[in-house]
Order: sequence, then C-alpha cells, then structure tokens
Amino acid sequence: MIRLSTSWMYQQSLTTMLNQQGELSATQNQVSSGQRINLASDDPAGATQVVSLNHILASTAQYSSNIDAANARLSTESNTLSSFNSLLDQARSMAVQGINGTLSSSDRQDMATQLTQIRAQLVQLANTTDASGDALFAGTSTTSTPFALNSDGSVSYVGNSDNQMTTIGSGLRIPNSDEGAGLFMNIPAGNGSFVASAAAGNTGSLLVGATSVTDASAWKAATAAGPVNYQISFDAAGNWTATDANNGNAVVASGSYQDGGSIGFNGMTIALSGTPAAGDTVSVNSGQTQDVFATLTNMINALNDGSVGDTQLNNTMSRQIESIDRAQDQLSSTQTDVGGRLNRLTQQQSTYSGLTLTYQTTLSGVQDTDMASAISQLMLQSTALQASQQTFAKVQGMSLFDYLK
Amino acid sequence: MSSLLNIGVSGLNAAQLGLKVTGNNIANAGTDGYSRQSTVQVDQVGQNNGRYTMGSGVDVIAVQRAYSQFLTQSLWSSNSALQGATTTNDLATTLNGLLQNSGNLQSALDSFYGGFNAVANAPGDPSARQALLGNASALATAFNTFGQQLDQQRAQINTQVSDAVGNVNSLVKQIAALNTSISQAGNTQPNDLLDQRDSLVKQLAGITGISVAAQPDGTLSVYSTSGQALVSGSYSYGFQLGSDAYDAGSTSVLDASGHDISSRLSGGTLGALLAYRSNTLDPAQNQLGRTALALAQSVNAQQAKGLDLNGNQGGALFSVPGPVVAAASGNQGSATVGASVSDISQLTTDNYVLTYTGSGTAPSVNGWALASSSGRPVPMTANPDGTLSAEGLTFTVSAGAQVGDSFQVRPTRDAASGLALATSDPSAIAAATALKGTAAGTNTGGATVGSVDVSDGSNANLFAGATVTFGAGGSYTVTDGAGNSTTGTYAAGTAIQFDGWSLSLGGTPASGDSFTVAMNSDGLNDNGNALDLAGLADAGVLDGGKTSTVGAYANLTNQIGVAGSMAANDLTTQTGLYNQAASAQQSVAGVNLDEEAAGLIKYQQAYQASAQVISTAQTLFTSLISAIQS
Repeated sequence: MIRLSTSWMYQQSLTTMLNQQGELSATQNQVSSGQRINLASDDPAGATQVVSLNHILASTAQYSSNIDAANARLSTESNTLSSFNSLLDQARSMAVQGINGTLSSSDRQDMATQLTQIRAQLVQLANTTDASGDALFAGTSTTSTPFALNSDGSVSYVGNSDNQMTTIGSGLRIPNSDEGAGLFMNIPAGNGSFVASAAAGNTGSLLVGATSVTDASAWKAATAAGPVNYQISFDAAGNWTATDANNGNAVVASGSYQDGGSIGFNGMTIALSGTPAAGDTVSVNSGQTQDVFATLTNMINALNDGSVGDTQLNNTMSRQIESIDRAQDQLSSTQTDVGGRLNRLTQQQSTYSGLTLTYQTTLSGVQDTDMASAISQLMLQSTALQASQQTFAKVQGMSLFDYLK
Repeated sequence: MSSLLNIGVSGLNAAQLGLKVTGNNIANAGTDGYSRQSTVQVDQVGQNNGRYTMGSGVDVIAVQRAYSQFLTQSLWSSNSALQGATTTNDLATTLNGLLQNSGNLQSALDSFYGGFNAVANAPGDPSARQALLGNASALATAFNTFGQQLDQQRAQINTQVSDAVGNVNSLVKQIAALNTSISQAGNTQPNDLLDQRDSLVKQLAGITGISVAAQPDGTLSVYSTSGQALVSGSYSYGFQLGSDAYDAGSTSVLDASGHDISSRLSGGTLGALLAYRSNTLDPAQNQLGRTALALAQSVNAQQAKGLDLNGNQGGALFSVPGPVVAAASGNQGSATVGASVSDISQLTTDNYVLTYTGSGTAPSVNGWALASSSGRPVPMTANPDGTLSAEGLTFTVSAGAQVGDSFQVRPTRDAASGLALATSDPSAIAAATALKGTAAGTNTGGATVGSVDVSDGSNANLFAGATVTFGAGGSYTVTDGAGNSTTGTYAAGTAIQFDGWSLSLGGTPASGDSFTVAMNSDGLNDNGNALDLAGLADAGVLDGGKTSTVGAYANLTNQIGVAGSMAANDLTTQTGLYNQAASAQQSVAGVNLDEEAAGLIKYQQAYQASAQVISTAQTLFTSLISAIQS
C-alpha cells in the first residue's frame, strides 16, 4: 500500500494540468502562427534546413533578377542592332544608286546629306544606354558616349574591348552586352579577306567588281608571313603585272586582261570591267579594317567631292558596299549570338521558377504547421485537460472529514 | 482502585497527546518540508504479584517524525539536477529567443551579397552602390545586435552567479546554526529543527551539487562537488566571488582559500550557470564571431582584388576586432603575446591558453605550449620569423616569460559585436577587375588573353605592371615594372603566376609574343570583381573552405537549437526523476488528511474510552462508599 501525501497530490494534479496547458498553448501557437518551428530548439535540424532553404531561395531570386537585368540589356541591344541594320540597308541602297545611275551634282548633294543624317543616327544608336545610363557598347569603360563623331567625319571609340558579364547561376556568367570595337570598329575591309581598290588617279574606265578568295590554300600560303600589299599595274595593251610592295616590288604574277574578265593569282580572283589606261593601278591589301562610320564618311566625301568622276565614284561605292556587307555580317552574327543568349536566359529563368516552387514546397513542408494533425492534436490536448480538471475536482472533493460529524 | 484510575489517566494523556500530534500534522499538512509526526506508545511495566503480571497503563515515550535518510538524500540530489536543468533550460530558451529576435542573419547576408549583384548589374549606378552599403550596414547591425545580446546574457550570468553564491553563503550559515541547536538538544529529537535543516539542505542542493554526511552528534557535514567542506558541525565555509584569471568581466567562484573552483562545481543552479557559460554560450558566441570574421575577411580580401570607382585598389569594407589576448592575472614574467588570424579557413570556435613551459621539446615549441580552453593540446609550428602558428592563428611572443605564465587567446568572441562598416563611400566598392591583360599587337601566335585573376590582393607589386615575353619552346620571362622577373615554361591550361596575379591564356603563344598585365585603367565600369564579391555568398571560407558564411550561420542555428532542445529534454527527464523522488519521500513523510482524520477518530475514541475507565473507577469507588454508608 502506498501512502499519498495530500498536499503532494494537490501539487501533482496541478503540475499535470499546468503541463497540459503549456502543451495546449504550444499547439495553439503552432496553429495560429502557421509555423511549426517558432524557436530553433523546436526542431534544430529543421531550423538549420530552413536557413539553407531560405538561402537557396534568396540566391535563386537573385539569379532571376540578374536574368531580368541581363534580359533588359540584351533586348535593348537586339533592338538597337536591328535599327542599326536597317539604317545600313538604306545606306547600301544609296550606294547601289550611286553605282547604277548617272547622278547630277545636286543628286549627289542630296544623297550626301541623307548619308550624313544616317551616320549621325548610327552614332546615336551606337551610344545607346541601358536603363541605368550605362552605355551598351562601351565595353567596361565608364564613358556614357563611347562613340564620338569628330569634325572630319571620323568616329573614334573611347570604350574598351572587354565585355560586361552577368551571373545567371552558380559559376555561370554570360556577357550582357557586346563591346563596340568588335561590333562597329574592327570590321574587316573588302570581302573580309582582302580589299582590291582602283587607285584614285586612274584615268581609264576600269571598275573593280566582285572579289573573292577562290583557292584557300594558295591564299593561306600568300598571307603566312603577314598581310599582303600587292600593286597591280596595267599597260596600254591591257597586260597586268602584280608586284609585292612588301618584298621590294618583286613581280608576283602577270597576265593579260580583257574587259569583263578577271585577274587571279595567289588564290585571289578579282573581277574587273572597263578598260584600264596605261599606268592605271589596282592595289590589293589584306588584314585591313574599316569601321562602319568610316564607310559612310567615305561615301559622303566621294559624293561631296565635285572632282570625283563617275568611274571613281563607282569604284568607291563598290568598295563601300563591300564594307557595309561586312558590317551587316558582323551585326547579324552578333544578333544571332544575342538571340542565343536571350534564349539561354529564358531557359534559365524557367528553370529557376521551377526550382523556386520546389524549394518553397520543401520549405513549407519543413517549417509550416501541418494543420490537420495540429488541430486534431489541439482537440486531443484540450479534451485531456478537461478530463484532468474534472477528475481533480472529483478526487479532491473526497475527504474523510466530510463524514465527521 | 487507584491503579485503575491511574491506568485511565495514562490512557487519557496518551490519547490527548495523540490528538495534539494529529492536530499538528493536520495544521502542517501544507507546510513545505514538514515531516509527519506520530507518538510512540509503550505499555507501562506492570506489577508482578507472583501469579500474574498486571499492566499499569500506557506511556508515550517519543514523538517521532516519519523520515527516511535514503529518500531524503535522493530528493536532495534530484533537486540539484532539477534546478540545474531548469536553469539551463531557462538560459537556452532565452538564447533561442535571442536567435529568433536578433534579426535574421541569413536574410541580411543574402541581401548583402545580392547587393553586389545589383552593383554588378549596374556598376556605374550610385544608387545600387548606396543600397549595397545600406545592406552592409544592416548586416553589421544584425551581427552587433546578436553579439551584444550574447554579451548581455554573459553579464546576466555573472549576476546570477553572484546571487547564487550569496544564497549558498547564507544557507550554509543557517545550516551550521541549526547543527549547533540540534547537537545541543541531546536525546530529545528536535523534529522541527531537523525538518528546517533538511529543507535548507534541499535548498542548498538546488543551488549547487553537494554531498552530505550525518555525524554521530546529530550534525550534518556538507561538501561541495569540488570537495570543499561547506558546513562542518557548527562551522560554515561559504564560497567567494572572484574574476576569471584571464577575463575580468567573467565572474568565477572561489573556495574559502581563494582558489578558482568554477570548473569543478557541478549540479544545481550554480553548476548549471557555469557549465552553460563554458559549454553553450562561449561556443555560440565564438561561432557567431567566427562567422562575422569570415564575412569581413573574405569580403575585404576580395575588395583588395578589385578597383573601386575612383580607380584605386579596393579598401576594406568591414572592420572587425581581432583576437583578444589576455594575460593571466598571476603571470610573473614580462612577456607579451599578440595574436592574429592568419588563415580563416583553419580557425575553430575554441578559445586557447598559451603557456610558457620553458621547454624546447614537443609538445612545447620554443618554450610555449598551446591548449584549447577545454584542455585539448594543440600542436604549434614555429615560423622562420619567430612567430608560432596553430589552427589558423599566429602568435607573436616576446621574451621575458617565466615558466608557468599563461595567456588566454579568444580569437572570435568580440568579432560579432565589434563588426562595423569601414567606409561610407559608395564609390569605395571595388566592382571592377583590378588587372587587365593585353596581347601585343605584333604577336604572331594564336594566344589570346583569357583572364587575369588576382590571387593575392596584398602583393606590393600587384600594380607594378608586368610583361610576359615568350621564347622558344613555350619558355617565358615575366618582368615587372619594379624590376623583378621570373621565368617558366608555359603549359596550355596552366596560368602564369607572378606578383599576386595569375594570367590565363587561350591558344598557343609563338616565340617572340608578349603580353602585358597592367592595372585596369580604362574599364572602371567593369563588374568582374562585383560578380566575384557576389559569388562569396556560396564560397567556402571556413573549415578548410567547406563552410560559407551562410552555412556557418546555419551551423550556429543548429548549435543553438540543439542546446535548447537538449535542455528541454533534460528538464523533462529531471522533472520526472524529481517527481518520483519527491513522491517517494512524501509517501513516507507527507501528511495524508484522510489518515489524520482516521487518527483523530482513533484518539478521540481512545480518549472517550479512557474517560469511561476513570468514570468506571469513580463509580466503583462510589458504590464502595455507599455500601459502607448504607
């Protein structure tokens, strides 16, 4: 038989009820706050997981906002490049006009004026800035106007040739713009390999047409030691001799030319038309670049110069059309690249929205109260407390003293 | 006739005494520490008249208290454990509350690192930089707040320790005084004094762990867990308050002769306070400090690898207090010790004690030996410049130490509360890459510059400008602007390193090609270093490069959470054990009112019966008298 101390019995029943109340209030807190973990000690492993999951969610959100920023810059770039391209189309059609028709001097003036306007627009487009005022095509330079139009019509680039990057994932960086030097300035002259241009002082009606490299291995051998600089001279009989200015004017090749024929040596084929006068020359250079603004300036200068004859204008315009083609090649390959990057951004973005959902589900599983079980537990606990209170009143009401009269 | 009367009277007295004791039990039913009392009755020795022995009534020889030495002692020891567990649980719950309410460090860290991304997205935008500084300041404040809260808990523990010591001293005095009174009571059991003393001993056990020995003269000897006598007979020896030998701000407990016994006390509130301070608070505060240090050092080091908006090498973004070295108060020599964090990735959350042994043999190095505060020996290595290194720390020791001198090194404790922003200038954020590699225009090979990374922002010649010139067979010579040079052979995919930078090339360089590495002077809108700074969010900084700052905070959360849930579990266990011990003790010593009611009836009836005996004796006597008269 065990003796029970009356005061201890009271105290025990009371402690039990207080404990039950404590548990009830903890469950109530879980239900009302919706959080299973109110203090780290409620579930240390869970609390640690919550920190890690929140961190992952924060970095995912950060990557998404980085993607948005890169998206904005790249979309602006893409639009700018399209506008740039269509302006070049206009310039090109004017150059074609300059070749085909016989232009009056006022026509020439009009064209020059239009081209000047196009050039100004191109410079303006090349100086496009993003939402925060940073120039898109300045590389990583702090300048806000990387392209400056000088009074002589030339354009100088004060940006640099580095690309600005954006982090779109752990260790994943992509350029969020393209620097201006590669886009607009360092454009290979001529057909991309070499440029063949008739000398300005030619007196015949020789026109340089399409040029190309037709024998890649011969061309490679010819350029192995560096850029070439050949001079093709014609005599009165239409015979030509090509000499190498880099090599003491040694004769490289020679042949005879007929109107509408072509000249070929060292892998190059140069289509010609018209009739050269004795002493007329065509120079062939490789490794040269010509910026897109200089192309327009060359056209403008030729149109403005009254001393330029039709043949010379024709030749100049042909060369500039080649340059515009190269510039447009560069633009379209960059456009493709930008499109690819935009695609990657979109893909990455949708990956992140998927991941965010997954992590949020996990997080909610870790930290949120399971309402169904919490509420049923709440019911259970309140019933238990009620039972304790009732039995307490009943048991404590029984005393032998009640029967002492 | 008189014998019957006497028997009746003795019964009457015994019943009356029984009623009084029962009444006293009922009156004290709710008194804490009261032990149920009962009378001890014996029948009085009778008279032998040759043929039979006639009893001569009842005698009450003692009023005894219901008492079990074993159960009382076990109640004392479980009270020690319960009070200890309660104190630990209170402190750990407070700590968890502090963790919850001191701002969310994880989101502060993520906003801060996110700020670098915002700067990277618009390097020239002053508002992004300003926002980053705001985030940095909020982050420092979050660290400060939590660090200061922990400091406050430390101060609160100091107060509680001194309160506890005061209580111990007052209790042992009272116990000694009761010992005196009890030993003077002689053979009569002074039940009330014994109850009082037991109750005081229980209180004392609640404050500090004790062992108790009963002496033949009725006194109790009480010893602390450190073996010191607290009460011996009528003498009491309390504790004294002192300061930690290394840390004047940390209250410690001394014995009567002045020795620090803090580490040897266990059990009770006091033991729990001291154990919590060294086992939970110190590691938590060190872990927090280490996280702050990791943040500051990694960000500052990365800042130094970039250029700010003014084109200068990035300066520190955070300032953080370094390790604290405290000389022991009893040091005899004149040596001084300095400490610095030389490798954050090796840094632990321990505090250390560096002791001068004068010995040159292991484990001592140059006369010094290192151990963690918990006593783990830590091997050190001697550096050529005379300093000593261990676990990411470097110690500078001066001459003049005496054998036995010691110094405590607390590498990280103050780092969190002392973390501050070192700059308020938005342009000081080093977003731009520091160095730029350029291929010479005359190069004939196909090599291009991949990247130039800064591996050591503190190199004096970092910005000296250098030229890498290739010779035959991939051999190269690097010459910097300060006239230093080195040679090597290039292997594809391997970076060329010099002056704290490393240059990665793509393609194959030809003989005669050259590349220059120089300060990035024209690209201050570059965001390369800002991206690297943002990348620090996931970069392993601590524990050999395995743990990031956010990871360290997650570990801290776990550490504090586990301390809290362990304390809560322990409290549940100890409450159960205490209840068991108390209910066992109470089942012996406690008052049951039903039982006392039955006692009342019993003694009342005995009293009435005894009165009837007297009445009978009187009736007999009266009938005898009237027989004579008639």
